[in-house]
Amino acid sequence: MEIREKGYRHWEGKLRAARHDWLPISRNGIRAVFKKKYAKLIFSLCASSFFVFLAAVYASTKPELKILSELVRLLKSDAELFKTFYSNGFLTFMLIILSVFSGAELISADLKFKAFPLYFSRPLSRGDYLAGKFAIMLFYLLAFTLAPGVLLLLFKMLFTGSLAVSPVLLLAVLAFPLVECLCLASLTLALSILSPNTKFIQITIFLVYVFSNTLAQMLKAIFKSDYAFLVSLQGNISQLASFLFGVRPAHAFPAWLSLLLPLAITALSLWFLAWRVKKAEARA
Amino acid sequence: MEAIIRLENLFFRYGDVEAIRDVSLTLPAGIFGLLGPNGAGKTTLMKLLLGFLQPASGRGEIMGQELGAKKKSLRRSIGYMPESDCLIPGLDAVSLTAYLGELSGMPRQEAMKRAHDVLYYVGLEESRYRQVETYSTGMKQRLKLAQALVHDPNLLLLDEPTSGMDPAGRKEMLELIRDIAKKESMNIILSSHLLPDIESTCRQVVIMNRGRIAAEESIAGLKKDRRNVFEIRVVGDGGGFFAALAAAGWQAEEKDQGLFQVKPPEGTEPAALFRAAREHSAQIRHFRQSRTSLEDAFMDVIRGSDGN
Repeated sequence: MEIREKGYRHWEGKLRAARHDWLPISRNGIRAVFKKKYAKLIFSLCASSFFVFLAAVYASTKPELKILSELVRLLKSDAELFKTFYSNGFLTFMLIILSVFSGAELISADLKFKAFPLYFSRPLSRGDYLAGKFAIMLFYLLAFTLAPGVLLLLFKMLFTGSLAVSPVLLLAVLAFPLVECLCLASLTLALSILSPNTKFIQITIFLVYVFSNTLAQMLKAIFKSDYAFLVSLQGNISQLASFLFGVRPAHAFPAWLSLLLPLAITALSLWFLAWRVKKAEARA
Repeated sequence: MEAIIRLENLFFRYGDVEAIRDVSLTLPAGIFGLLGPNGAGKTTLMKLLLGFLQPASGRGEIMGQELGAKKKSLRRSIGYMPESDCLIPGLDAVSLTAYLGELSGMPRQEAMKRAHDVLYYVGLEESRYRQVETYSTGMKQRLKLAQALVHDPNLLLLDEPTSGMDPAGRKEMLELIRDIAKKESMNIILSSHLLPDIESTCRQVVIMNRGRIAAEESIAGLKKDRRNVFEIRVVGDGGGFFAALAAAGWQAEEKDQGLFQVKPPEGTEPAALFRAAREHSAQIRHFRQSRTSLEDAFMDVIRGSDGN
């Protein structure tokens, strides 16, 4: 028989105890998302707001383009510029689309194809598994928030020819996308572990976004209170950006609440994920 | 010989159901069959060995490492072929195998090279670039074996490895297992409810029933207990003859139409059978030592443990 002729051969190498056991999961996941159909279209749309704001930054720094000053009136202060970049409705919408596209099936597909025994029979802890999945989401979300935010700041310096930047602004430019992306990533993964049906998860993520905004509008109409926007994803993003960049908030409720809320959602989602993955490992 | 697995008074329960009950087991190096009817606790035992489940009480050691303690280090030396039809979607076989090798701690390029080798070994060389979702059941079984072998473990846990395979595929899978078992540093626990699979690959078996170890010995030893069992066909006054046999302590069971399997009580010679036939005007038209199969031995063990 052919099998006997070949015979089993040992591997001569040595297994290493890696410090970042989750890294192969992230690398594989990032590659898988990039290879997906429509990936480039979605990435281009996500990046489009960066190019619009880049043009605005350029226009605001060039006196010869004064004619466009009306257009960039809102962008005269750096804080206003970055607040508007991070919290504009189009970018938020595209981040939701990106979450649906890249995150919905991250755990859901593992449930569907019963992949947990394959993962957990390896030297991987539940934390490693979750960290690997989390890193995939964070990679894509930060690639279209933090990375362009930092680039905008660098271009601003380049166009003005000055390296002076307010530490508060720098902190806000770094902190806002981190809080926003942590919340979105953990919420997406928490929803992804709910069902092996990826379509259902995709619809749920999208509905969370649409209904949170609609519900806020309805509650505002009923109770005539801006606190209604606490249930809105877009409302909270806008309020959080105002809080971190120190600009006038759009809604009349304490803006720090919009910092507390995403942190609470992140913590709750992580707890839920840890609990569900523990169950999944036992059922593996 | 140093024990590969040593379990002491292991208990595990799913809610109110005791899935593993007071399991104590010492397995030396080699290949072992884990036999048992469905629901006997075989898969649960494997999950306990892998650390997927924590025992309610008891302790154990696998290759000198405490059960459930250093899970990561333990899993580096274990290869697991699960029973369920599992895969990681969106990958071809070679990427999947390499990916799982990497997760086991293999350097990336080495994992890829080894993935090609093991896929070739299990007979998937032609289809290694095909998406795993398109694989047939038999191919998935081979792929599951490949991923369990990719990091060259010292202990291979195979859970129903031939499940869903056609006869030719099953034969090849068993040949692969026999071939792997030839390697000195490779230890295998093969769980199955298919007795011929165990019989053709293992010399030693552990039989589980209702969460307990019902027997732990060599297949030859299990069969040996059944040498004093005979098959007979009787014409004439069968009723009186069998009543007399029962009174004398013989066990008789009809296997087929008119074909009985009889077992004498301890210390009784088979000649007593013919004397009883003569006394009851019955004729024994067929007499031979019962063909002993693992299935018979297995059924005896299961019946015995059910009675306890």
